[in-house]
Amino acid sequence: MATSFKFKPLTISILLLFLYNAIASSASGSSSTTMHTNNWAILVCTSRFWFNYRHMANTLSLYRTVKRLGIPDERIILMLADDMACNARNKYPAQVFNNENHLLNLYGDNVEVDYRGYEVTVENFLRILTGRHERAVPRSKRLLSDEGSHILLYMTGHGGDEFLKFQDSEELQSHDLADAVKQMKEKRRFKELLIMVDTCQAATLFSQLQSPGVLAIGSSKKGENSYSHHLDSDVGVSVVDRFTFYTLAFFESLNMYDNASLSSLFTSYNPNTLMSTAYYRTDLYQRRLEEVPVTNFFGSVMETIHTDSPYRAFSNRYYRKSKTEMPSDQSGGGNRRALKDLDILEELADPKLNVRPLQSTYLLVHEG
Amino acid sequence: MLKKVCAVELIGIVCGWMWFWLINRYRVARLGKLDVDRRWRKLQLSSNRSRAQLFGSAFFSFLSLLVSIICCVAGVLTLLLLPVLAKNTYISENALMPSSEIPEMIGKHIIESGGEVSYHQIQPISDNFHPLQFFLGPAVGIVHENYSCTSYGINTVGIVRAPRGDGKEAIVIVTPYNSVKTTTSEALSLRVAYSVFSLLSRVSWLAKDIIWLAADSRHGEHAAVAAWLRDCYALSRGDLEKNQDMCGASSVLGHELTSVKRNGVSNGFRRAGTTAAALVIKVADRSTGFEKDGLKIYAEASNGQMPNLDLINIVNYLAVHGQGLQVRVEKIWSLLDSWWLYSLGELQELLGKVAKSLNPDWKFGIPASDYVEGCATLASSLYNQALGVPTGPHGAFCDFQVDSITLEFSPRFSSSQRVLFLLHAGRLVEGVIRSVNNLLEKFHQSFFLYLMTSPSRFVSVGIYMIAFALLIAPLPLVAAALFSDASKSKSGKDDVSLEPSHPGESIPTITAWNWLHTAKTFPNSSPLTNLLMWIASSLVGLLFTCAASGSLSISRASQLQIREWTLLKAVTVTAAFIGLCLMSVINYATAQIGALPLVPMCLMAVPLRFHVSAKTMKALLRGACNILLDDFWNWTESLRAWNSATYIYICMVNLPCWVLCIRILLHRR
Repeated sequence: MATSFKFKPLTISILLLFLYNAIASSASGSSSTTMHTNNWAILVCTSRFWFNYRHMANTLSLYRTVKRLGIPDERIILMLADDMACNARNKYPAQVFNNENHLLNLYGDNVEVDYRGYEVTVENFLRILTGRHERAVPRSKRLLSDEGSHILLYMTGHGGDEFLKFQDSEELQSHDLADAVKQMKEKRRFKELLIMVDTCQAATLFSQLQSPGVLAIGSSKKGENSYSHHLDSDVGVSVVDRFTFYTLAFFESLNMYDNASLSSLFTSYNPNTLMSTAYYRTDLYQRRLEEVPVTNFFGSVMETIHTDSPYRAFSNRYYRKSKTEMPSDQSGGGNRRALKDLDILEELADPKLNVRPLQSTYLLVHEG
Repeated sequence: MLKKVCAVELIGIVCGWMWFWLINRYRVARLGKLDVDRRWRKLQLSSNRSRAQLFGSAFFSFLSLLVSIICCVAGVLTLLLLPVLAKNTYISENALMPSSEIPEMIGKHIIESGGEVSYHQIQPISDNFHPLQFFLGPAVGIVHENYSCTSYGINTVGIVRAPRGDGKEAIVIVTPYNSVKTTTSEALSLRVAYSVFSLLSRVSWLAKDIIWLAADSRHGEHAAVAAWLRDCYALSRGDLEKNQDMCGASSVLGHELTSVKRNGVSNGFRRAGTTAAALVIKVADRSTGFEKDGLKIYAEASNGQMPNLDLINIVNYLAVHGQGLQVRVEKIWSLLDSWWLYSLGELQELLGKVAKSLNPDWKFGIPASDYVEGCATLASSLYNQALGVPTGPHGAFCDFQVDSITLEFSPRFSSSQRVLFLLHAGRLVEGVIRSVNNLLEKFHQSFFLYLMTSPSRFVSVGIYMIAFALLIAPLPLVAAALFSDASKSKSGKDDVSLEPSHPGESIPTITAWNWLHTAKTFPNSSPLTNLLMWIASSLVGLLFTCAASGSLSISRASQLQIREWTLLKAVTVTAAFIGLCLMSVINYATAQIGALPLVPMCLMAVPLRFHVSAKTMKALLRGACNILLDDFWNWTESLRAWNSATYIYICMVNLPCWVLCIRILLHRR
């Protein structure tokens, strides 16, 4: 009886601790306080037909770039509306080039296309964004982002005033896009979102966006066309669009660890060479563009913090009192951190769990 | 022959029924109005009514006269203005992308076989020309075909299968040559096609199969191509072995067959996918007087069908920008020297300048020389379409709804530059084929109804229809005015002389069908029985329909002689209007050219006053007819041989209207 009375305040305090924890985590749900922990990219080519070769080349070029800058394949959702590489008109079967010098085959060995051909529809696109898939859809085709994700959404095709044409049969309207992004925000599917669109009148596609944390850049303003960069007279088609070409040119000189900012990317577009005016919308975005490196979106550069303890735990199965050397200065909320540490300690204390969690040895943190 | 006449006769009877029905409908409508009129008159018996009516009818006839004059003049003017209103051509289909590829055809291909060109020149090809030698590549299937036992010719067909294509579509190259007596120019066209063909058998970008048809033109280019197409689209085909059995041991055929078997090539009828487009390649015998190699485009197919404008556009674009050829379409040369056309051109140029000085945004008016050339080209375009006879073997393809044109190259004949010419021509054909190869669907983006005023300018259907519409607009108006005129005076007489209880149906019926009575009296003693048989039979058909309806009462006709010709004219004008409208749907150009003489003739037809000399006039006319119509009949016979709708037009619309007009002229007042 007496002992049970003694324990009561302790249970209350533990309950309170949980309650506080819950409140703290909900407060940190707003993107400003959550850490940026991972990067995703959705790359969409919406055009069919051989004469739209360049749209597939655009998308594949960007795919190659973000992969080079560190976003792994499982976090890239690649949608290609047609298969130019296998088109009978392609003089170079199974190859796609974005330059007439043919130095770089974009359709090499390691291209994972998630949605191909007639799978590229407005419906599937909106399902990817909002995460409302049918049960049978495999994980590799889903956007499994969370509130710490930075997402790059790149779209190219034929567009017009407040729409983007999909597959020559349907269109995505600016309202649809804005609605999907709003849902994503409410479902905490991203921290920051960069929408990059290379179509005619691309700027009009952003006009309905309202969600905070969204940054948008388009190849042309309302009433302007976007143009292709050059024609490959060997293949017989235009192979790349101007906006994408100069975007790629900007990234080609960068490596993973460069600190070029978004504003340097945005100012690199020259209306004369682009033959259209690149438009970017920043009013929904909180951070200053000068301070945001491009790799925040186009790459996935994470600092690795090495912790010894799991190795020790791994090497010695009966080591029961491991001490983690968690960097406690990384985040606020001391209580939470303490609880987390406690959890880990408890986990480690369990001998069965010691063998398994190899991935917990790495704590991924954004370099800032 | 007899069958066709019978068929035309049948159509005539059907037409007669239609006329009868239409006029009957009109009569019924009028009848209802008359009834209402009569009741109205019963109600108000004002005296100034008849004066107002008279004034109204006079005003109406004056108005119809004014309108018909204005419309006719405006119609002719618009027709003359068409070259000014012509737009520049543009390539409408995105998928075509002409000249976005560098031609792969390099001189090597031709120089390699340059020796063969000279070989063709020296020896008559009928002996040594062996088409089979061209097709020894593994990807090529060969078909030998004969289409008639007694006078067979052999078309040679080569097919390149697209290596990664789905085999559902094909592009056809046609080179007509006379296998009995091949001329140098024919050998040259075969040379061009062979170069392109051998190149295409090696490229990797084909999405459509390529068929090369070396058509044996000893019985006409069109016939050879049409025979191949027929067999291509028919379910049963003329197999070589089967025909050989039928024809017995035809020595040449047997020789060919053994050589075919020796080479291990199939002799069954080989097909490729449905034809997306066809190019007929010819080389003109005579050289051009120009500095550059020339290219002449023939596009008109049967019944004024044209291939899609995009096909002409890409050929023109590639020839001018890619190969520097001088592109021309056919024109009527005699018009180029006509002073009145030139002065008209100068006038419109002047007007254009004045308009520009008034408002710099107004841009019309083209240089006078351009105008004259545009007119000559337009006239030729109109004429060829109106004739309804194809201008080349491409017409056979157009009958199967395949877009096709004939390209006639005219090289500068100096042997040193022969290779250069082959290079240009080959590159052009290759470029066109590659462009069509890029196509995803049938040609559909650009115009099908147009007239060319130069290789790079065209008049679309929306503009040229204005001229025609203006020209025929007064016809229904005049017909209505004439008919109401005649009926009004008649009904006025009714009010005076007849009781209101008199059944009103008989009068309009008689008036409406009196022209039949008059037309029946047309002298039928002309020796042109062939021609008049039809007219007579159609009239008999019409009479039969009338008799069947039992509404024709000839007894009253004599009383109404005075107004008869007005009604006759109304019917003539209506018939012309209906016929022209129907024809403009089938073949615009025929209707346009037909309307030019027919409309003023129908509108101006008035009985001749000196009926004393009517009999001698008749005799004279008959004599003239005998002379004129003989040639005319031969001409129409040739039209019928080509299945031209113009033939039907002339028989169904033009001739009856002439007959009726002549009847009006000879009408006794």
